[in-house]
Formats: sequence, structure tokens, C-alpha cells
Amino acid sequence: MMRNHYIKVGFILAVIAYCVWQIYPPEKKIRKGLDLQGGVHIVLEVEQPPAEEKSMSDVTQRALEIIRNRVDGLGVSEPVIQKEGTNRIIVDLPGVKDTQRAVEIIGKTALLEFRLVEEDSKKLSDVLKGDSDVLKDYEVLYMQRKDERGITRETSPILVKRQPELTGAGLVDAFVGYGASGFPEVNFVLNKEGAATFAAVTGENIGRRLAIVLDGVVKSAPVIRDRIPDGRGQISGDFTMEEAKELAVVLRAGALPAKVNIIYQQIVGPTLGKEYIEKSLRAALYGVIVVVAFMIVYYYAFGFLADLAMAINLLILLAFMALFKGVLTLPGIAGIALTCGMAVDANILIFERIREELRSGKSVKSAIESGYHRAWSAILDSNITTIITGTILFFLGEGSVKGFGLTLSIGIIANLFTAVFATKAIVDFVVANRRIETLRI
Amino acid sequence: MELIKNTRIDFIGKRKWVYLFSLVIIVIGMTVFGLRGKANFGIDFVGGDIVQTRFNTSSSVAAVRNEIRNLNIPEVTVQEVGTEHNEFIIKSPPDTSGKILATLEARFGKENIQVLAKSVISPSMSVTLRKRALTAFFAGLLGILLYLTIRFEFHFAVCATIAIFHDLLIVIAILALSNKIIDGTIIAALLTIAGYSVNDTIVIFDRIRENVRKTRSKNYLELFNLSINETLSRTILTVLTVIFVDIMLFIFGGEPLKNFAYTLLFGFFFGAYSSIFIASAILIDWQRKSAFRFRL
Repeated sequence: MMRNHYIKVGFILAVIAYCVWQIYPPEKKIRKGLDLQGGVHIVLEVEQPPAEEKSMSDVTQRALEIIRNRVDGLGVSEPVIQKEGTNRIIVDLPGVKDTQRAVEIIGKTALLEFRLVEEDSKKLSDVLKGDSDVLKDYEVLYMQRKDERGITRETSPILVKRQPELTGAGLVDAFVGYGASGFPEVNFVLNKEGAATFAAVTGENIGRRLAIVLDGVVKSAPVIRDRIPDGRGQISGDFTMEEAKELAVVLRAGALPAKVNIIYQQIVGPTLGKEYIEKSLRAALYGVIVVVAFMIVYYYAFGFLADLAMAINLLILLAFMALFKGVLTLPGIAGIALTCGMAVDANILIFERIREELRSGKSVKSAIESGYHRAWSAILDSNITTIITGTILFFLGEGSVKGFGLTLSIGIIANLFTAVFATKAIVDFVVANRRIETLRI
Repeated sequence: MELIKNTRIDFIGKRKWVYLFSLVIIVIGMTVFGLRGKANFGIDFVGGDIVQTRFNTSSSVAAVRNEIRNLNIPEVTVQEVGTEHNEFIIKSPPDTSGKILATLEARFGKENIQVLAKSVISPSMSVTLRKRALTAFFAGLLGILLYLTIRFEFHFAVCATIAIFHDLLIVIAILALSNKIIDGTIIAALLTIAGYSVNDTIVIFDRIRENVRKTRSKNYLELFNLSINETLSRTILTVLTVIFVDIMLFIFGGEPLKNFAYTLLFGFFFGAYSSIFIASAILIDWQRKSAFRFRL
């Protein structure tokens, strides 16, 4: 009998040691969610491209590959890029520094086109007056310029051919350089076929303007001075250094096969995440302290026992998070704190039952036995309903709510072990082979 | 220490007043809820932008609002957070945060404004989020109800279910009355309330079953009152420990956890309240009306 108690207590100690080993050091072992470490969460919806025979799902898959290439250029350590349904792409970039830039790089279609400019000003004014005949072959695009306040404005309309002479599909490289005027520009290199087409187009249209169009906006429209045989060129425009770098990254990764819309974006800066961690952990700590103190004041040694069980509960919960790479979010921290408040519930049920059994005249040992025994079914029922809630929130919840579902359900499952098995083992260990006449509970 | 001992309170006898009290809160709250319409829900369910900004110098809600007013964007709210008078949360309709930020940057200087966090939710995404939250909510409720039906006698399960709905309605009513917004985390809080508040009802019903078996008495009213009194201390204590933690989260947990903790606070409280005053009372009324016997 006594040996049995030693084995149980030994097992509990082993569990504690294993958990501590798993958790330490926590800041490295526990993965923090986007809300706590900062970062970007984006959901993109891919538009159905016109005249596309391939299925929507394939288009989305291609877009995903290109976005993956672009993200690789950002240098984020653990990006998550996944397809959802047939036309959505989810991108998670935890810990990314320049969040705004990341969003721009991912969401840009980056369709580069070279289109001949129609110089006949009569045609342009006809179109602007509403003559739709010209629009069969041509369309009006605008240049964009930033004003002195940094706000983008559209400037002069340009009439360009609908059919591009060449697209960015033939591009093999893009990099930032400085133009003759000293402003940043993007240099590009075309592949063999692209270079051949480019040479032909430039050779045949000397003296005309060739508009360089990016996502439907004219970046520049230089006059073709000579045939360009080597497939090299520059895109100049109203770039800052950052914008030029960004453009080079997206041009290298390639254009998306269709336009994408950012339908959901969540950006958390690193400072805010740090504040969230500090505040929520402090609140959780205060909460736990109050509960711990209350239990000791109300149940004396047994209260201490319940607190001990709660501490083991907490260790198991955190070890589980570390072991299975669970993501800790802000609601997740709240979940951990609430778990501590709920963890002692099982012990309250047991202790109240023990008091009742003592009042009915039972001996200390049999009161403890039947207290544990009789409270068990209510404890199981209560925990199961909360586990149902937690699991559903983990699987069906969105974003940081998932983290709440995770900590809540794991905490309550562990609670069945700690509050019932562990406390009973310790009580048995203490009570065994001793005569106890009265119990202070 | 033992604060609650040997009580003999007639909980069931006061049930008419209790019903009335709950009904009044629910009716008033739900009316307000109905009147508020879309304003009940957070941007993740209706679409919109939220930007949390920090200024280098202190400013005021009025000053920020003043700048935005010129843009003529409808339904923009500016809320101050923190204690330094330099942090503001700006909520606006979908795709307007860019314009608002540009305006503020133009007025206060780009280097003086830090964007701490930003969420942009398009209407099409909000439809998805709404559907998902509703699915989670009803799947969770269904799971709990299913468990209760398997675990308990039919009449018990129905009354425990009514108690859960009572708690949720009261909490939603209180959220509407206190001008709070329902978003994804609040849905999680509501579901937590459903899962947790039924616990006390289970403990009381467990005791009722035990007492019915033990005494074979047909005086259900007395038996139910006895059971509630016998379990009163644990009903209150279990909720109390969770409420301790929740209050700390509410006070110290920071802005994003405030509404979550607020919702839970009322949920836990009324969960215990309905376990004590409502669940068994309804069971008694039902039993008196249709004179069934408990098959236990």
C-alpha cells in the first residue's frame, strides 16, 4: 500500500520535472502569436482573370507561388502562406519589421506592360469627349505624381494601345540603380525572346513614345531614340529609394496571374505586442495570487494542496504548448489565467464534499475517500462542457481566439489529472499510516 | 473558514420575482439591441478599418476628430486609450483608414504619428468571419446540449439548456445596454459562459438526483430547496475564484482584454444566479404542470 503511494508521488514529480525541462527557457520555447510579437496577417482574394481557361484554384495556386517568392525576399523567419478555398490566400508574417512595405509587396499585381503611345492628340480628345470607336484599339491611362504633401495625384491622360507590345513575363532580372538625373530607377533585363521582341518594337517605332505601364498606371513614357538590341532598360518614375527597391522585388518574383484584393489585413507593431504581454501577464499573475491566497485562507492546508495542483496544472499546460508548438495569443493568456481560476473548482467540489461527509459523522479517512469519490462525476461533467467549448473555439475560432480555445481546453484537460489524481496521491501519501482524529478543512 | 453553512433559504418560493427580474433585463436589453442594429457588432462582423495610433505629443479626441471631419466620411469614431492622451483608436468604414492617416500625417507631421496596429476588414471578409463565428457559436452550444441530453434525464437537460440561453440573453442584453460591441472575442466569451455556467447547474441537479433517490420523497419543492442550499457554498465559491481572476484581467489586462473580461464577468455572475434561482425553479413549474415523475 505504502509503496503504491511512493510510486504515485514519484510519477507526479517526474511529470513536473519533464514539464519544467520542456518549458525552460519560456521565451524561446513558447511561440507567440501575431498579436503578441507583432507582424502581419493578410487574406487575399484572387479575382477571376478574364479569358482564363484554367480553373480558379490553379490561378490561386500560381498566385500563391509568386507571393511565396516575394515573401522570401522579405526575410521573415517563419512565414505561413496557405490557400483557403479556391480563391483565397492567407499570409502570416510574424515579426516582420516594415509591415506597410510587406503589405504593399504582397498585394501588388506587378503586371508590367510596354505599350505604344498614340500621339494623335485629336484621337485623345475624341476619346475624352466620349467617342467609343477609338476605344476598340486604345485606352486612356494616366500618370501618377506625388504632390508636395506626398499625396498621389493623377496627371495628364495618355492614349495607349490596348495590346501591349511586351509584358514583364519575359523579365529575368530587376535591380535598383540611379538614373542620369540622380533619382532612383529600376533596371530590368529581358530574356532572349523578350529581348528580341523589344529590339523589334523599338527598331520599328523610333521617334514614338513607349509607355511603361505598371498595374494600369503609366510609370514613364520615354521617346524611343534608337533600337535597343540587348533587352536592357530602365523604369524611371517618381520613385523614392524604398519604392524602387520594392518594385525590383516584385518584378523579380513575377506578376500575379490575376488581380488580388486584400480583403483582410491585420497589422500589429512590435511595441504594442510587448505592452500586451506585460499587461496581460501582470493581470494574470494578480488573478492567480488572489486565488492562491483565497484557497489557503479558506481551506488551510488543503487550500495549499489545491494551489499546488494549480501550479502543476499550469506547468503541464505550458509544457504542452512548448511541445506541440501551440501559439500563445493575448486571449490565450487570458485563457491561462481563467484556467487557474477554474482549476481550483474541482478541489472546491471535493473539499466541500469532504466537509459534508465529516459533518455526517464519518471518520477522517473515509470522509476523504468518499469526498473524492462522490465529487468525481460532477467534476467530470463540468470539465467536459468547458472542454467542448474550448475545442470548438480552437478548431472553428478565428485568429487569436484560437489561442484562447487552445489554452482553455488543454488547461481543463490537465485539470482532471492534477486536481483529482495528483491531490489525492499527495493526501494519501500524507495520511497513510497515520492516525488522524480531526481534520482542519 | 466556512462562510456559507447550513443555509435554509427558500430559493424556489421566490421564483416569480426572479422570472420577472430576468425578463425585464432581457426585454429592455434586447429592445436596445434591436434598435442599435449594426452598431452592436465589431468591424470583423460588419467590415471596416481600425487604426491605433500613438502621437509623439499629447493631443485630444476633439483635435483628431476635427481633422477627420473635413473628409466627410460617415460613422468615424475616435477613442482615446491609455493615460498619456496620445493614443487613439480610430474606427471607420471599409477602405478609409488610408485617407484618414494621410490627413493626420499631413496635419501633425508624418514623423509624429506612429501606427501601433491596424486592421482592415472588407465587407466580403466580414461575411466569412460572421459565418465562422456563428458556426463556432452554434456548434459549441450544440455540443454542450448534446452532452447534457446524454448525461441527464430529459427534463433536467431541457431546464439546464433554458438556463444557458437565459445567461446568454442576459449578457447580450447587458452588452447592448452598456454600449459594448460584439466581435470575435466576445463570441468566444459567450461560448465560454455557456460551457462554464452550466457547471453549477450540473452540480445542483446532481444533488437533486441524489436526494430524490435517497429520500424517495415526492415533496419536490422542499427537496429542490434543500439541494440548492446544500450545494450553495460550492456554487458560490467556484464562481468566485473565476471571478477573482476575471476582475484582475478587467482592471489590469489592458485595452484589448477589457470587453472580453467585462462580458465574462456578467456571464459568470448570471450563470451562478440562474443555476441557483432559475434552472430548478423551471423544473418545478414544469413538473407541477405536467405532473411527470423523475426517472432517475
